[in-house]
Amino acid sequence: MATGFNRKFLLRELVHGWRHSVLFVLCVALSLMTISALGSFKEGVDRSVFRDARQLHGGDIIIHSHYPLSPALLDRVEALKDGDDTIVSTMTHEFYSVVREARQQATLLAEIKIIEENFPLYGTIELGSGQRLQDRLQSGSVIVAEDVLTRLDLEIGDVLLVGSGALRIVDTVVHEPDSPVSILSFGPRVFVAAEDLDDIDLVGKGSRIKYEMLLALAENGDLQGVTAALRRQAVEGQERVTTFREEGSGVKRFFDNLLFFLSLITIFTLLLAGLGMQSCLTALIRQKEKTIAVVRSLGADAAFLYRHYFCMVLGLGGAGALIGIAAGVVLGNVLPTLFRGLIPVHDNPSVGMIDLGEGLFLGLTVVILFTFLPLYRLRNIKPAAIFRKERSHFRRDGVFYLAVFVAAVVITLLISVQLEDTFVGLLFTAAVFAFIAVISLVSNLLVKAVLRLKIQTLSLRQALRSMTRAGNASRSVIITLASALSLLFVIYLVEHTLHATYIESYPANAPNLFFLDIQPDQRQGFVEFFDDKPPLFPIIRARLQAINGEAIDRAEELRKKRDNFAREFNLTYRDHLLDDEKLLEGEGLFDDYGSGEMLQVSLLDSVAEMGDIDRGDVLLFNIQGVEIEARVVSIRTRTKSELYPFFYFVFPGDSLAAAPQTFFSAVNVDKEKIAPLQSRIVAKYPNISFINISETAEDLEVLMGRLSRIINFFASFSMAAGGLILISSILATRLERTREAVYYKVLGGRKSFVYRVFIYENTFIGIFSAAVALVIAHGGSWALCRYLFEIEHVPAIGATAALALFTVVLVVLVGLLSSLSIVWQKPARFLREHGGG
Amino acid sequence: MNILETRKATKMYAIGERRIAVVDQVSLQVEEGEFVVISGSSGSGKTTLLSLLAGLDSPTSGTIFLAGLDITSYDEDQLAEIRNRTTGFVFQAFHLVPSLNAIENVMFPAELARDDQAEEKARRLLERVGLWQRRHNFPEQLSGGEKQRVALCRALINTPRILFADEPTGNLDSKNSKEIVDLLLEMQREWNTTLVMATHSPEIAALAQRTLHLHDGRLLTEKERQSAALVGAEA
Repeated sequence: MATGFNRKFLLRELVHGWRHSVLFVLCVALSLMTISALGSFKEGVDRSVFRDARQLHGGDIIIHSHYPLSPALLDRVEALKDGDDTIVSTMTHEFYSVVREARQQATLLAEIKIIEENFPLYGTIELGSGQRLQDRLQSGSVIVAEDVLTRLDLEIGDVLLVGSGALRIVDTVVHEPDSPVSILSFGPRVFVAAEDLDDIDLVGKGSRIKYEMLLALAENGDLQGVTAALRRQAVEGQERVTTFREEGSGVKRFFDNLLFFLSLITIFTLLLAGLGMQSCLTALIRQKEKTIAVVRSLGADAAFLYRHYFCMVLGLGGAGALIGIAAGVVLGNVLPTLFRGLIPVHDNPSVGMIDLGEGLFLGLTVVILFTFLPLYRLRNIKPAAIFRKERSHFRRDGVFYLAVFVAAVVITLLISVQLEDTFVGLLFTAAVFAFIAVISLVSNLLVKAVLRLKIQTLSLRQALRSMTRAGNASRSVIITLASALSLLFVIYLVEHTLHATYIESYPANAPNLFFLDIQPDQRQGFVEFFDDKPPLFPIIRARLQAINGEAIDRAEELRKKRDNFAREFNLTYRDHLLDDEKLLEGEGLFDDYGSGEMLQVSLLDSVAEMGDIDRGDVLLFNIQGVEIEARVVSIRTRTKSELYPFFYFVFPGDSLAAAPQTFFSAVNVDKEKIAPLQSRIVAKYPNISFINISETAEDLEVLMGRLSRIINFFASFSMAAGGLILISSILATRLERTREAVYYKVLGGRKSFVYRVFIYENTFIGIFSAAVALVIAHGGSWALCRYLFEIEHVPAIGATAALALFTVVLVVLVGLLSSLSIVWQKPARFLREHGGG
Repeated sequence: MNILETRKATKMYAIGERRIAVVDQVSLQVEEGEFVVISGSSGSGKTTLLSLLAGLDSPTSGTIFLAGLDITSYDEDQLAEIRNRTTGFVFQAFHLVPSLNAIENVMFPAELARDDQAEEKARRLLERVGLWQRRHNFPEQLSGGEKQRVALCRALINTPRILFADEPTGNLDSKNSKEIVDLLLEMQREWNTTLVMATHSPEIAALAQRTLHLHDGRLLTEKERQSAALVGAEA
């Protein structure tokens, strides 16, 4: 019984099966590269976005409100400061407003932040000049983002009109610790000194302003105590007091979601690459079957084979892991350049020994998981296989099922660790298996249906038959490719639908300019700017406090990923439906349906769904301190795009006329007339804000483009895994393919015939993969558009057909290049070498 | 009239740094309709010679004429045309296409030749060899004798002028061997096809019109054959 270790045998096996070895290493490297790249991306985001939560939020305690802070709260802050010298505070006002260059022709929607001298309490605002913010921002001056200069054609030293104030630009802002990325901002930053607050005259007229007070405590300060004291004074539902640890930021939520999604894609790639490893090793062992049988006939036991092949797998896996990690690190350094504008990484991400160890451990775990079964099957190769012409058959025994079970558990654990959530990990694993099961089912049905067709052309028929050749992995390849393609297609289709909905299908006569914060006494003057009287919608800001007497749980609402009841809503009042509205429930907008003496309200269907609200339900609103109950008497829906103005809650005409309110207007203005109109209106009413919808839509498109670039980048790794599986499948069936090619030639088939059969076979694989992916992707994107974005799905048949065609060409090319040497095989040589076959 | 002729056909193989002549300066002629056996011991070069004659391989030197054509310098596609239209081949190991069933295997060469009657011809042939009922069976579902009968039908479907058979009974038991040889000869006579068969079976060789003896890649003359036989007998 041979029980030793034969280094030469191992080496020879490796060299002889070099194609499979290279593919195996590539599969491992691909999986590790994907994980490392995502790790680098995460690290970049962590470093630049979440490195210091204090810096991200600018203080230890954050008091947030959309109204001027209440006197009681302000008094409490002062009292705390008087009692503890180490407590410092700073106040900021943040809002969007139109800024103009001095000649008043060019305008720009900017994100204005009015700050006090000691802002920020943590971190530093980097300026273009390299000087300190406090030294540069004085009364009468302004510091702006570089984008303001570019878009308004201004230079440092020029005057910028902000509201009623004329402020001199003294510097540019390069980086803000509390606003690390500009991805979610719809206007460039403009810093104004607090001393100019009154001069610019933009605050205090019902504008949408974010009032924020930041407090910093001494290192050993009583953070919880101070926070609790402030909370006691805060107006409930209006003023939010949080510590930097609790505060969730939009930026953090955005990147959390993005990284979560990218993690899912990465895991998907990892699983596909794992299948690739399994496929390569199976192919290698199939190729070595005769050798293994000979070795066994000479006395080698199963342990001898396990030892050598396990060493081979570990060696190749280790090499692949190292290559993958190295490639991932290189990629990590390139990512900031690739995704400029999305991740402002200041330091180059580096990979430490711990990361390296983690990567190696993860890589080898995946290798062992996916190679166990092929290795286990080594024992099934008996010495008698020397005499057999057919392949050895493997039975599924208890060990097989145990191995599958253990692999499923470990994969679920890995996924849970990667997603940092066990429940979601379980859900995702179940979803992946369900997804693969659906794809397998659809693929099998498709293949079976096509095989039943009566095809006249010999090469076509032969290609279809070849797909079912013994040991062929056509179905695995289709499933893998279809899975990866489904993901890519869904991303494309959703992006396309968003583009078509918000950009392309935006009607020429639809409102393209929204005016906000028009004061009641400005209505007449505002209307005079237009030839045709624009519509004016009253807006009353309020919170929903309870539905049918059940209080809204704001903490619970905030956890929801979609729109929720924790925020403030804009109420309006009128007696008619808008042009793009129609009633779903109710006799009219308002009626006597069960309302009695109670105030009536009409709901938009989306908000009704959000809170599971029906006609007859009673809602309790808080309108700036005043509680009002209203009964739902009708439900409306909308017939046009999201970019038309809409209101969730509509009250009967004049019912809320006495409430504090501003007015909103939406008009259609020729593109070239927008800037002069904005200039004229802002000159007269500086407090009025604008939203240029076409510009906003373009900004949205840029944002979507950037996001899809990142997602496609990571999803392309899945495609690469699919390609590797295709190549390994061709290698696995190399002998069968060669035999077929030789038979065709012996019987009189030309090389072109053999090429045709292989091309058609790969074309079928490509078409089936693309077809299955298209079906799944259209279903998936329809569901996403319908339930997540709530827009009409645009199928994009032409574009997806082009994507499918591209896939087919790619599969054919990869398949053909891998089969070239098979086609060139001389029949006599093959018959001589495999005469017994 | 000669349908097949070779002039000093040689096939060399490189094994490591050595070059070995597996077929060495073989010159022969076969007349149309003739049944010729190439006999010799294992490793004498029978299969390689048959491969050269059938256009499955090209000689290193020398010339081969098949059906009046010098096929020596034909490329792979030109040879494929010859193999499809002019020759048929029956192998010891059958070499049926595994993904095709019996009738599809038989039809295959005819379909390559775009013959509209492929199915009808295959039907007649399979009926003739008693395998019509097994037409939908795949090779793995057929016995050795059945496989060889299918292979024979496949070799004959394009009515080749010359049929090559390489140890066609080598993998069969005696009953099946006899049936296959009977079928081969029956069809050869009926269709007046030239039959060139490599075999080391003296019984089959005895049925041939002429036997060519191959030894170490060379054709033996009658005198050489007799002295070799004597040496064999003494040994």
